[in-house]
Amino acid sequence: MSDILVMRDLVGGYGDANVLQGVSMRAAKAEIVVIVGPNGAGKSTAMKAIFGLLKVRGGSITVDGTEITGWEPNRIVEAGVCYVPQVSNVFREMTVHENLEMGAFLRTGDLSAAYDRVYTLFPDLKERRKALAGNLSGGQRQMVAMGRALMLEPKLLLLDEPTAGLSPRYMEQIFQICRDVRDTGVTIVLVEQHAKQALAFADRGYVLAAGANRHEGTGADLLADRDVADMFLGG
Amino acid sequence: MGALEIINFYLVPGIVIGSIYALGAVGITLVFSILRYAHLAHGDLATLGAFLALGAVTLGGVSPYVALPVAMVLTAAAAVMIDKAFYAYLRERPKIVTVMASLGVALMVRAIVQVVWGVDSETYTRGIVRPDVWFGIRLRDRELITIFAMIGLVLALHVFLQQSKWGKAMRAMSDNPDLALLSGVDNKKVVMLTWIIVGGLCAAAGVFLGLNYELKAMMGWTMLLPMFAAAILGGVGRVEGAVLGGLIVGIAEEMSTLFLPTEYKAATAFAILLLMLLVRPTGLLKGKVL
Ligand SMILES: Nc1ncnc2c1ncn2[C@@H]1O[C@H](COP(=O)(O)OP(=O)(O)OP(=O)(O)O)[C@@H](O)[C@H]1O
Ligand SMILES: [Mg+2]
Repeated sequence: MSDILVMRDLVGGYGDANVLQGVSMRAAKAEIVVIVGPNGAGKSTAMKAIFGLLKVRGGSITVDGTEITGWEPNRIVEAGVCYVPQVSNVFREMTVHENLEMGAFLRTGDLSAAYDRVYTLFPDLKERRKALAGNLSGGQRQMVAMGRALMLEPKLLLLDEPTAGLSPRYMEQIFQICRDVRDTGVTIVLVEQHAKQALAFADRGYVLAAGANRHEGTGADLLADRDVADMFLGG
Repeated sequence: MGALEIINFYLVPGIVIGSIYALGAVGITLVFSILRYAHLAHGDLATLGAFLALGAVTLGGVSPYVALPVAMVLTAAAAVMIDKAFYAYLRERPKIVTVMASLGVALMVRAIVQVVWGVDSETYTRGIVRPDVWFGIRLRDRELITIFAMIGLVLALHVFLQQSKWGKAMRAMSDNPDLALLSGVDNKKVVMLTWIIVGGLCAAAGVFLGLNYELKAMMGWTMLLPMFAAAILGGVGRVEGAVLGGLIVGIAEEMSTLFLPTEYKAATAFAILLLMLLVRPTGLLKGKVL
């Protein structure tokens, strides 16, 4: 089986209440999987659960065949998983270049190829490499956040709303970068608010609602689904 | 009173005690920004460092300047052990629990110092040191060494934080702890590294306080308020700010005796702290808001 991520019946939450009530999903190698759903559905929570940032009370998470449930975050990163959170996803008081350096924290040896790759993907960042990340525009900050995660050359990349608050031009650029990264063999799981565009570009999608799976299928199937459309795609 | 008298009797002592406060305040600011609590045992760790150096001086017969690095290493080890024995268990609990625990640690460390070294005042060396005079400004060797050692230690720390991999990890942990974890930084190592640095700085503050004044069991505890005032004045999380804050508090304390009875010296630091929290809670160099 070439599934990079397998999440089975995940149950958990922040306090005593369970936000996730049995979420399951999987992502194959070099696949883009998008998670959509209404606000508060538990999309971000499902991603945080992979990194153990909340109490997981049931279910299991497997990355490339190894069960990682309950691991320390640094070990999960070592296993090749990178995560870009929805908010506070850059080191504001560090420069753009230092943010990338932190992304490569666990890597040793010559990193110049990795820097070149990120700076080629995001030419804007190259110009501003000495600027503090906190002083950048929202779009540039989102690029720093993605660049930081790409520095490790992960096998699984988790992106929580990478296009939030961005103009359509930036959004298209981010989607294109996702495709390029996927084509190098990386699995990408992303949460998206722009459900229509995201489902159109993803290989497969999951619709979460109230902390549970509601629908799943290829992007095209979900776009065509009446129930999904009624739920939140609008007209 | 002439300018030279003001320099000799107020400014120079102010800069010297300010340098000592700075060494302590840098440690306080690191603990504040990376571990996120106020460490009340900071002064007593300085006391421990001062007396460990005294131990090296009396047992090994070395000069206090040779004893300084020994005391820094031993105090760093003590700080790491204190963290593992007491604070590590409380990491998941509300921070106020750790603050209170550090008060307990302060009393404990002081009690150990009193049991081992007694309650009388001590000095590293006996006799009176005559100051050298430079253009009318009177400076003792130990005063110059205090100031330059502070500058040297802070510069070394600065280079470490800016240039080295683990220094950057410490800054990252202070900036955005969750993201640092998500980048693969091992929090346990950062915590240990922080205590090594903080322990070393505490010992330096204690040894220089002992060199310029005298050693007593309460020496560190009485420095706690001015050190906190300095850290907050400079901006929490700002190493340069802590140095600036330390110098300002030290000089202000000495200068206050121009106008106020010396008994009010300690109140000066408190007044500066209150004023700063009222007017600009982020500190001079815009640190974290507590
Ligand atoms: N840190 C937290 N502590 C406690 N509850 C939280 C926390 N973060 C989220 N929640 C709760 O968990 C539920 C799911 O939140 P989550 O952030 O996963 O939703 P989401 O699907 O990502 O929504 P959005 O589209 O707004 O990002 C919500 O009810 C939210 O209030
Ligand atoms: Mg979310």
